[in-house]
Amino acid sequence: MTRAEVVALTLSLLSEDDIVVAADGAISREAYRAHDRERTFYMLGSMGQVASIALGLAMTRLERVVALDGDGNLLMGFGGLAMVGGIKPPNLYHLVLDNGCYATTGGQPALSQKVDLSAAALGAGYPWARRSFSDDHARSALESWLAAPGPAFLDIAVDAEERDQAPRIPMTPEEMVARARAALSGE
Amino acid sequence: MTVSRRLEALREAGVDYVAGVPCSYLKTFFAACGALPPASYLPAVREDHAVAACVGAWLGGRRALAVMQNSGIGYCLEVLTSLHLMYGVPLPMLVSDRGAPTDFEEHRILGQRTRQLLDLFGIPWREARPGREKVEARWLVETSEKERTPVVLLVGKGTDV
Repeated sequence: MTRAEVVALTLSLLSEDDIVVAADGAISREAYRAHDRERTFYMLGSMGQVASIALGLAMTRLERVVALDGDGNLLMGFGGLAMVGGIKPPNLYHLVLDNGCYATTGGQPALSQKVDLSAAALGAGYPWARRSFSDDHARSALESWLAAPGPAFLDIAVDAEERDQAPRIPMTPEEMVARARAALSGE
Repeated sequence: MTVSRRLEALREAGVDYVAGVPCSYLKTFFAACGALPPASYLPAVREDHAVAACVGAWLGGRRALAVMQNSGIGYCLEVLTSLHLMYGVPLPMLVSDRGAPTDFEEHRILGQRTRQLLDLFGIPWREARPGREKVEARWLVETSEKERTPVVLLVGKGTDV
């Protein structure tokens, strides 16, 4: 499956109350196109900080927080894995859409092809971490992950190529943040 | 239990989440952070992750504070510029003021340029003064929220109280 298909499938499995942090770049744009929701925070930059932002949310909220991360993104901010594993927020669900490369910059290979990300998550202290392929079993893999004790980590392999490029999100950064914060704290 | 007048002042000013990486200039402050509820204090592994976690906590409705050595500003720049400054997210910050000519070599190059670096990105800053903890805490929180920007209080020797 493509990354955009897995992003769409994941969003379809979430409840309205769930809070989503979508990684900068393609993952945010694909999440917006598939299912825009007020409780999704769309990152535009600051690669490597998906898990850290999600952790700040998970520590301060009771709802489930779902981090839609990329493999290169996670590797850039690998310390975020240690913070989540060390703090162990039970409401944090970390998904890595793993295409094994830096797709938006031309498909350069990433070291995620050689580094076992789910073993790293287990080592960091996540009580549940798996790797899965995004074939016919993608839905059941995602359902098992969302039903697991948190923080739970799923590294899901997706195609290196996408069918198309999702357009940029037609909101300013100020609008994105104002909407997400208002949805969460009523301010 | 260690008491920090600065932490107490910041809590009175509304701070209810702290993420940071320790500095020996901030020993008293960090010792007092140990007594905060577990969901209110994040011992971050690097300063960029601390300020990113503060964005999450702020989205969640908290008043989040980041604390670090001034060398950590280097790690933070990408996050401060493409999260806080670009989205307009407030962030009060306590930053140690290292780099004096008498300080160790490893603190001097970035330490002596901390003020210039903050000025370059338009981040307001002040130097902490003994006995001014309450005024400084209110200034940090109010300025960050009014201008929706990171704001730095530089904590030098003798002001970690």
